[in-house]
Formats: sequence, C-alpha cells, structure tokens
Amino acid sequence: MMPIFSALRLFFSPASGWQAIKDRHYAAVSVFFGHTLPFALIAPICGYLGTTRSGWQLGSGAPVKLTTASALQISLLYFFALLLATLSVAWAAYWMARTYDAKQDFAASLGLASFTATPLFLVGVVQLFPELWLNLVAGLPALAISIAFFYTGVPVMLDISRERAFLFATAMLAFGLVALVAMIALTVLLWGAGFAPVFTH
Amino acid sequence: MSEVLAPVESGTYNYKVVRQFAIMTMVWAVVGMSVGVYIAAELAFPVLNFDLPWLSFGRLRPLHTNAVIFAFGGCALFASSYYCVQRTCHTRLFCDRLAAFTFWGWQLVIVLAAITLPLGITSSKEYAELEWPIDLLIAAVWIAYAVVFLGTIAKRKVKHIYVANWFFAGFILAVALLHIVNSAAVPVSLWKSYSAYAGVQDAMVQWWYGHNAVGFFLTAGFLGMMYYFVPKQAGRPVYSYRLSVVHFWALIYVYMWAGPHHLHYTALPDWAQSLGMVMSLILLAPSWGGMINGIMTLSGAWDKLRTDPVLRFLIVSVSFYGMSTFEGPMMAIKTVNALSHYTDWTIGHVHSGALGWVAMISLGAMYYMIPRLFGRELHSVKLVEVHFWTATIGIVLYITSMWVSGIMQGLMWRAVNPEGTLTYSFVETVQAMHPFYIIRLLGGGLFLLGTLVMVYNLWKTVAGARAVEAAIPAPAH
Repeated sequence: MMPIFSALRLFFSPASGWQAIKDRHYAAVSVFFGHTLPFALIAPICGYLGTTRSGWQLGSGAPVKLTTASALQISLLYFFALLLATLSVAWAAYWMARTYDAKQDFAASLGLASFTATPLFLVGVVQLFPELWLNLVAGLPALAISIAFFYTGVPVMLDISRERAFLFATAMLAFGLVALVAMIALTVLLWGAGFAPVFTH
Repeated sequence: MSEVLAPVESGTYNYKVVRQFAIMTMVWAVVGMSVGVYIAAELAFPVLNFDLPWLSFGRLRPLHTNAVIFAFGGCALFASSYYCVQRTCHTRLFCDRLAAFTFWGWQLVIVLAAITLPLGITSSKEYAELEWPIDLLIAAVWIAYAVVFLGTIAKRKVKHIYVANWFFAGFILAVALLHIVNSAAVPVSLWKSYSAYAGVQDAMVQWWYGHNAVGFFLTAGFLGMMYYFVPKQAGRPVYSYRLSVVHFWALIYVYMWAGPHHLHYTALPDWAQSLGMVMSLILLAPSWGGMINGIMTLSGAWDKLRTDPVLRFLIVSVSFYGMSTFEGPMMAIKTVNALSHYTDWTIGHVHSGALGWVAMISLGAMYYMIPRLFGRELHSVKLVEVHFWTATIGIVLYITSMWVSGIMQGLMWRAVNPEGTLTYSFVETVQAMHPFYIIRLLGGGLFLLGTLVMVYNLWKTVAGARAVEAAIPAPAH
C-alpha cells in the first residue's frame, strides 16, 4: 500500500492505522518521498494561488494580494520550512527515544512525524482563501486531530507503554511549540531585515 | 535529608494557615479568572461595559491581573511555601500568630484592591497599581511572611535546606526588595500619590520591578512549588540536585538585569536596552535548567500516570514553562520586539506563562495538598481528567489566537504605502482582531470552566471533612 493510503486510514481508525503503518516497515526514503514531500506541497501551492488570486481582507479595505514574484518566493520558503519542520520533529523523536526507553529508529520516527502531520498538511487547502480567521478556525481542529494522532502513534511506532508514551508525546509537544515559536521569531527577524512580502491592492 | 540535629519535638504542623490559604487560592482563582473572561468578552463585544466607568476595561484589567497574580497566585504560594517549609524542615511554622497575620493581612490587601481599582484609584504602575496606604500594608504583610518563613528555616530539625526552600526564600526576599523600592512615592492625599522617581528613571524602576515580578513572584516561587510537588507526586527524587542549585543561582543573578526589554525603543538609553536584551537571552539557560529538571523527574514516573491524573497537570505546566521561557528571550530581541511590543502577542506570551505554567502547577499542587489537609481522598479522578483536557484546550485556543492576532496587528501597524502614508487606520486593526478576540474568549472560558469543575470536585472532597492535625515525623537519616 502506498504511504498516502496508509495515512488516510488513520482518520478512520488511528490505533489500527498506526499498527498497519508499523507492520509495513516503511523505509525513511519511502516515507519522505511517498508521504512528506507530496503532502507538503499542498499548502504552498494553495497558498500561492490564494495569495495571488483571491487575496485577503483586513478590516473593511480592499482585498490584499501578493505579487506573483513575492508569492513564489514565500511559497518556496514555506515548502522547505514544512519539510524541515517534519524532519526536525522526526530527529527530535529519534534523539529523545533513548531517554524514554523507546525504539531508536529514524524511519519509524519520520513515519511518526510525517503521518501525524497529515491533517495539518491537508488543511493547507483552506489557504486557497487566505483569510486569517478562516485558516485559524479550520486549522485548530486539524491541529487537534494531529495531536490526537501523535498521542496514539507514539506507543505503537516507538514500542513503548502507553503511560511512557504520554510523557514522551508531551515532551515532544513542548519541543514542537518551541520550534514553532522559533519559526515565528525567525520570520519576524527576516521580515525586519528586509525580506518582506510585496503586497498589491 | 541528612543528619538529625536535635531530638524531635513532639507536636503538629501548622496546617490551619495552609488550609486557609489553600481554600482562598481556589476562591480567588474563580474570581480572578471570571474577571479575565469578562474583560475578554468586553474586548470582543465592547457593549458589555454598559457605559459604567467601573465596569470599563481600563479599570477591570488591573483588577484581573491583581486578582490572578497576587490573590490566586499569591495565596497558592503562601499555602505551598508554608506547607513545604514545615514538612521539609520537620518543624512547626514559626509563630502561629504572625502566620495568621499574613493570612488576614493578605486577604485585606486583596479586598482593598477589589474596592479601589474599580473606583479608578490607581498609581498607574502596571502590576503595582495599588495606592500607597495599601502598599504599606503589603510591605508589612510581606515582611511578616519573610519572618515566618525564614524563622521556620532557622528552627529546622534537619541540617540541610531543601532546594525548594531556597527558591521560596529567594522569591520572598526579592519581592520585598522590589515592592518597597518600586512603590516609593510621595503621597498628596489618602488615595493619591506620585512616584518618588521621575521620567525615564521611573520607567526603568517600574520595569525592573515589573519583570522581576515575573521572575521572582511568578517564576522563582513557582519553581519552589515545582521542586516540592513534582518529586512528591512522582514519588522519586529530583533528577539532578546539582542542576537545581546551579540554575537557582544563575536565575537569581540574571533575572535582575532583564527589565529594560520592556522599554525597547523608548527614551531609555540605548545601551541599557541592549544590555536588557542580552541578559534576557542569557536567561534561557537557567530557565531551561529548571524545565529539564522538572521533565526528567516526571519522566521516570510514567508508571504512575495511569492512576494519577494530577501528574498530567505538572507535566504540562513544565512544558509550558519551557515554551514560554523560550518565547520570552525571542521577544526580547529588539527586531522582534519592534513588531511584538504593544500587540496581543505579548498578551498571548503572558498567558502561556500564567495559564500554562503558573496556574497549571498551582492547580496540580492544590490537588495534591487539599485532600491531604482534610484527610480525604479526591472525590473524582475522572473529573480531574475532565479538568485537565478543558484547561489544556483552553490554553491552546488562547495562545494560538493571540499569536495570530498579535502578529497581524503588529504587521498592520507598520504597513506603509509606497508614498509613505500608513496603510491601515487604527480602527481597521481593531476590526481585524475581532474574530481572534472571540476565539480567545472561548479559550479563557474553557479554562475557567475547568477551574469550576475542580472547585466542585474539591468541594465534594472536603465537604464534611474534619481538619487534619498532622504530627511531625522524625527526620530520616
């Protein structure tokens, strides 16, 4: 079964879905090219289309859009940031595994990180309409589902008891939040250093 | 605990004052969070101020901050420090009457705050709004607190002073210093005074106080709580005692310098701003020392998780402590601060610390202490779990909405048209924030709901119970 279909199975039954993923022993390369890469394309493409075509409205003003050159640049950065984020979560899980007596296996860690993020990858479609509040309202349930996937996935993928997995997953969540804040701060720094998007009205 | 210095005195711990503070912790939690939810609703729907001056955001906001920080957080600190210091020193609290004075005095301070702030009586210093007569009362209560706490340490029956007590003592002494220096004022009437400092020096003293209120009141004190209740609940020793001592001294030294990051791009001399920024970045190290110690101590207690939902509160609180102490230094970077300052990002940051760290660890500590103080088992473990998830979801909604709203707000403020005029009027930024204010209201409301579930659970736990008189056990060798 292709990794993409394995991922979709998680929505119907997370526990058996994870077990099925584990049983397939996907190699890190096939997870990356079969799942991470294609899914990480959704948000940047939709974001590109959304920010250049429909745009968004702030207050009561005319819709704001990005110039195509600026949107292309940002979408590319966005795409690489998503890949980097997935890989770094996988790396952190791999690194932390020993502390929690979990299985230290990069392919399993990458599978965990990538398949967990499926709802977040999919909700990228909403970026066709880059209205901020709409994306937050759609993104929050996706985030909740991803977190639920993560908590159910850790014990299966890394071979540890559910109680230990809870601690592991919570420590990972803290890592994820820190990484998110780092990304926000980095974006602001870059923006301040002159790499700002170019808007059109 | 090492050697025994003297034969054990026969007697009991002073649980009465601990019980009083613990109960008031829960009362003020509900009051303070309710005011918070109300003012969050006012921001989303301004009609809710009903054109009454004492219901306006400007007057209720300081009431909210004072009620949650000093009333809820303060009572939690009094309760847990009095509990911890007696138990780890194997001795009864020094001077019962003085301890009772700290309780009634502190409650009087809170009641006076609740009356004067809505009336608009304020010194206008953030987190130090109370006018000079109340400030004098605070100073008296706080000095009494120091005497009771340090007096108890002085008459301890074990040689070693456990690290939690170092944090509590550091917090008590630093807050006394901060409060007395910052509140120095020239009174002009009973309810009006002017700061003893002028201009930018006043601002610098204020934020030296303000940031150290975060560093000592909301951090060192609650780290003391963490170092007692985390090992207790986990049933195992602190992961690294050496680390706890090292990060204690590092924290005490570095926090004192971080205040100027509240005054980036103001009239404060530029070198002072840069110094504040650098010290704030360094602060990450001692903060994470505490987080690592907390997480690693809890990590070994995984086998207890199945039966003990209180552990979850402690885990999440330490995780949020790690996150917000990373976010803080990021926001102290001048370039980032140029965007984030005065926006909702700051509000989100404060609440990831205040709800995620301070409130979660306090509620966890109360779940631990209150049943023990009344000699009962918790009424419902299931309800603790309900509380945990409601509160956690509430925090996530709160901080994510404030991230988005704050960054958007900052970007809109600085957006300029090619000809140099501002792209957005102020009211457009307010309009754009409306949906996020509703999500924030929902998040805050969920957190309050969780607290109400806890109050019900604790009420069922202690109703009809008799106060426990605990005998002081002999120190172990």
